[in-house]
Amino acid sequence: MNKYPEIDELIQAIVVGEAHLSVSLAERLIEKGLTIESLIQDGLTAALQSLNAKCTNEEFNLLEIVLAGRAMMAVMDNVVARYLSPSKTVVSEPDRTVILGTIEGDIHELGKHVVKMLLRSSGYRVIDIGKDIRPEEFVDKAIQQNAGYIGVSSLLTPTIPSIRRIKDLLEKAGREDIKVIAGGGAIQQTTKDDLNVDFVAQSAFDILHYLKNLKGER
Amino acid sequence: MNGSMTSYERVLNSLKKKQTDRIPVVPEVFGVTAKLCNYSIYNYVTDASKLAESQLQARRVIGHDMVFAFADLSVESEAIGCELIYKEDTYPAVRQPIIKNTRDIEALNIPDPLKDGRMPVVIEASSRLRDAVGDTCIVAACIMGPLSIAGQIMGIENLLYQLVDTPDAVEKILDFTEEVARRYGKALLQAGAHCHIVFDPVASPMVVPQEIFLRLELPRLRRLFNDFKKEGSLICWLSIAGNTKKILPYYRDANVELATVDYTVPVAEAFDLLGDIAVNGNLMPFCFVSYSPEKIKDDTKRCIIETSNRRNYLLGSGCEIPVEAEINGIKALVEASLEFSSLCNTANKRTKS
Repeated sequence: MNKYPEIDELIQAIVVGEAHLSVSLAERLIEKGLTIESLIQDGLTAALQSLNAKCTNEEFNLLEIVLAGRAMMAVMDNVVARYLSPSKTVVSEPDRTVILGTIEGDIHELGKHVVKMLLRSSGYRVIDIGKDIRPEEFVDKAIQQNAGYIGVSSLLTPTIPSIRRIKDLLEKAGREDIKVIAGGGAIQQTTKDDLNVDFVAQSAFDILHYLKNLKGER
Repeated sequence: MNGSMTSYERVLNSLKKKQTDRIPVVPEVFGVTAKLCNYSIYNYVTDASKLAESQLQARRVIGHDMVFAFADLSVESEAIGCELIYKEDTYPAVRQPIIKNTRDIEALNIPDPLKDGRMPVVIEASSRLRDAVGDTCIVAACIMGPLSIAGQIMGIENLLYQLVDTPDAVEKILDFTEEVARRYGKALLQAGAHCHIVFDPVASPMVVPQEIFLRLELPRLRRLFNDFKKEGSLICWLSIAGNTKKILPYYRDANVELATVDYTVPVAEAFDLLGDIAVNGNLMPFCFVSYSPEKIKDDTKRCIIETSNRRNYLLGSGCEIPVEAEINGIKALVEASLEFSSLCNTANKRTKS
């Protein structure tokens, strides 16, 4: 029998986006002796998996995902961060570091924020460089921050020529090892060849799957 | 145009499930038309004569069955007071939401469509288009639905949080945006538009749950369509992008007569879910950028065959055709309509063109 039945309540609270309840349940679990590692593994990661299943079942909607993301971040910021030093919550290795931004010509940020929340909750170091960002800035920042990935977000198809330039710039800099992932809005209709990227994500979770698979390969 | 009927007759006959000479072609072509007159997107969205000229030129070149009085998705939010970022070759976008706190709505006034922002530009374009086409072709003006205007003036992320955190305050904001849509919509009709497309991307089940659509948006859309009908609108037309299967069965409750469905919903399934409502769609918008005209023609043929037992089908894209699309690809839709409309079965046989 599960020693901490409240962990299921925590998962449920996160999935339905109850931020305050999620934080108080997480605190109660820690007080009862649950380790912070178990809280992350059996609570937060399990909640992410539950959301992931929802996404693949066409049950996805942005509202539920942003609310769950907010609840997850509230637990991360208010509970997990108190018990773990930043170096333990996120690892500054290239294959755990993502440069994230909205490409030049576009100022929409919601999709990027959702991805940021999911990646951070999954232990990635995410550097959000903002919106309307030139391809050169993505590349410079990725090299400077020793990132393994560039995540480029766009809602609009006219931005495609700018997205396409990122990989060319990486090649020029001799950094083809940095993978480029694109996602968001109309971009979902395109292929990786249309965009000259390594992967086109169909959802925020799609990025997590891609990174997980790559990690196995690399 | 290119048939024995006028575009106006073709579209209205199709909506009434009457015989047509060919399947009407109604692709959502807006900014993409500007290139035919060598205008920038900035020119197109800020100058009524250039907008109208681009639309008319596009219809001459492409041969489709409608002209659109529409600039971009930020016309309403700008008229309400949001500052926009303008660029030469892309649509303007809201720089900062004007509502940060839900109480900010108290300080806002319903815009005057004849004075505020670029509403007068689009109204003048409606008038110019109607003067040019009369009743030979439908002039469809486009407006945003209440949830989508709220998403623009609040910022979509804030709107989503407030839908849950302060639902009563959001209702007030939606009452405001519904009234914005009503006044703007009526002014467009009075200027000459035959109907509107109501665009409501934020009402998509990809963005909000079905429950939010049914509780907050559907009653507002019903009131809007009823009021527009009283004002003389010919078609109650709703365009919501994404996978809309969960909400299509409820469109009839808003008195929708024509639904644009996106490429993620098979046309045959859309018909089943919509009942008697006519369907416009559902080629993938980006295919007009990346596919050859031959491939687009093949895909269009598939749509025609899929709907061969339906008279109330209007060929088109599931959402706006991107501004960088090739015009020849859009022409392929009309070519396919001319070539393959005869494939429709005997029960719905169309008259020869």
